[in-house]
Amino acid sequence: MSGFDARMRPLAVRAGLALLLFAVLPAVLAGFDRSYYYQVANLALIFVLLAASLQLVTGVAGLLHLGHAAFYGVGAYAAALLSTELGLGFTVTLPLAGLIAAVIALLVALPTMRLVSIYFAVATLAIGQMLYLVMLNWVGLTKGPNGIVLTRGLELFGFDLSGRLATYYTVAGVVALSLVALGRLSHSYYGNALRSIREDDQCADAMGVRTARLKMEVFTLSAFFAGVAGALWAHMTGYISPGDFDFGESILILAMIVVGGLGSLPGAAIGALVLILLPEVLRDLGDFRNIMVGLVMFGCILFLPKGLMGEVSALRLARQQFGAAWRRTGNGVGIGWR
Amino acid sequence: MRMRTFALATIAAFAAANLAVPALARDTVTFGYQLPLTGDTAQYGQDFRKAAEIALEEFNKGDKPFTVSIVFEDSRSDAKEGVNIARKFVDDRRIVGVLGDFTSTVSMAAAQVYKNEGMPQLSQTASHPDYTKISEWQFRNIATQAQESPFNAAWMAGSGIKTVAVIAEQTDWGQSVVNTFAAAAREKGLNIIFQENFNRGLKDFRSVISKIQRANPDAIYTGFFYEDGAQFLKQVHQMGIRTPVYSTSAAYSPKLLELAGEAANGLRLTSNFLPNSPDPDVRHFVEEWKARSNGAEPGQFPAQAYDAVRIMIAAAERAHPDVTRRSLRDELAKTTDFPGVTGKTTFDADREPQKVLAKVEVTGGQFVPAGE
Repeated sequence: MSGFDARMRPLAVRAGLALLLFAVLPAVLAGFDRSYYYQVANLALIFVLLAASLQLVTGVAGLLHLGHAAFYGVGAYAAALLSTELGLGFTVTLPLAGLIAAVIALLVALPTMRLVSIYFAVATLAIGQMLYLVMLNWVGLTKGPNGIVLTRGLELFGFDLSGRLATYYTVAGVVALSLVALGRLSHSYYGNALRSIREDDQCADAMGVRTARLKMEVFTLSAFFAGVAGALWAHMTGYISPGDFDFGESILILAMIVVGGLGSLPGAAIGALVLILLPEVLRDLGDFRNIMVGLVMFGCILFLPKGLMGEVSALRLARQQFGAAWRRTGNGVGIGWR
Repeated sequence: MRMRTFALATIAAFAAANLAVPALARDTVTFGYQLPLTGDTAQYGQDFRKAAEIALEEFNKGDKPFTVSIVFEDSRSDAKEGVNIARKFVDDRRIVGVLGDFTSTVSMAAAQVYKNEGMPQLSQTASHPDYTKISEWQFRNIATQAQESPFNAAWMAGSGIKTVAVIAEQTDWGQSVVNTFAAAAREKGLNIIFQENFNRGLKDFRSVISKIQRANPDAIYTGFFYEDGAQFLKQVHQMGIRTPVYSTSAAYSPKLLELAGEAANGLRLTSNFLPNSPDPDVRHFVEEWKARSNGAEPGQFPAQAYDAVRIMIAAAERAHPDVTRRSLRDELAKTTDFPGVTGKTTFDADREPQKVLAKVEVTGGQFVPAGE
């Protein structure tokens, strides 16, 4: 019976989460029927994806990344330009936006990935600023500060998905799939190798973990998901400009994963939800709402330095509720997905 | 005994108040105003709110068939928040029209929502050439560079200037300054011998200024707001350059004079709002403003916001009693010769305001109308 329980529970938990995301939430949104709630929900989901993708680099692999928003921007610009200049639909621009962001990340990662600690952080800061300035100043390609108006919204193989509920389902679907992939990456042997780099990269190197290569991979992977988030934002909003992807945005995403808990995927999601929803909930406070948001963040760091849901609890959750391959196998105990 | 009198008086007062209510009950027309009340550009948003409150108070004091209320929402000049607010406004069935946002980029991101849901949007400052092209729902109350540039080029040509150096901030607005001025200069026979963009908030203009010095133009044409403008003018002054500087109405702010001091003297710029104009409407606005701002004078932007709110109210008055988003839009589009503090405003077929521009020069630390 306990064996059955151990096997069924992860399934039940996953089904429950899917039900929440794809049935309960949309039902609540449809019940209120306010486009504002849909908008906030979609925005929160996009930032959940951004935080989750940064979490892989900064939380799991321990590399302080200060330019994440730039890859988000690269994805958004790639989607917008492919859509307006070449007339491609969302179905094509979404994966392409991720790939283009990943390729650019790989190119800039090649010379920088041997840097460690603060030097890495400053290098990513520079990368972020360079990409931002390219978006702002390369007027010929990006239209510069004028931004880009997208003519085509969300669609799937030609089906229009720009209605309220359809938009929500599209965003939620893309984000959910990405989260599953990111969860697999962080709760697996792969994730454990990344954690070993974070804890002691020289030791990991000596143990045979190819640290430089792994760092490059994880940087590129995270840029891919940031690019996907950018494509979602571009098609959902219909207008993008460089200001959406500046340094402040990178810091916002970084704050989300710190508040949520470094190294914790559910923590990243919770952090993103808190920092997107809180300023909206506090709108009525007027000028004081930014102070309140600041106080909440400060309180989180002061009283919950490991985050709202720290790495240890996140790992326990993944292991016990999601059966993240910690289950007993034929010849011993696994420590993650292979 | 005294208690009873008091009670009776209270009841009588209540009854009177209740009786009076139906007579006073006027329906309320509600607008939304999205603007940056916090963040990097909060100083502008705070001014807009002040200007809007003056306009509101005036209207609601008067004997009108309805009252107006405005819901202010803080966008922090952030597109994410701007779109959220736009959604919030279109959900609110009371709101029939929206003012704002401050920057073109946030206005245009929000405009996508207003386009799809059908909500009139009137921005006091969005100057992006494509803003009003988004849909029939977008209006603005700011003279665009398409109008200012030819005016300034003609002014320069009339003053015997042949060669010009152009610098402008690297924003959508700065781009439009450069592009429209280049076209106008060609037409008026001016030669642009140097052109550069700078990023907003630049502290050190000396390298740009020395390049301009080397190019040795007859005049410098600048596209900046007062913060960058004051820095630029001070550094030009420090480097001992006496080349005349021309600018747009965006630099027209008392804060420019405050920050640049005597370096501002000689600056020539366009404006359609003169706080020391004898026009009673302007004097009333300036007095109200001073009373709320420790005696400071309003600049060009708050004046545009004040007029934008009043243009919106005037359209609602024409549409009354049937004020809907559609009827308000149609009435806005019909706005002709609206007498505002920024001159008469008429919306053309593309919902662009046609403004009368005036030449202004800074003399002795004051903006004064410039002679020919």
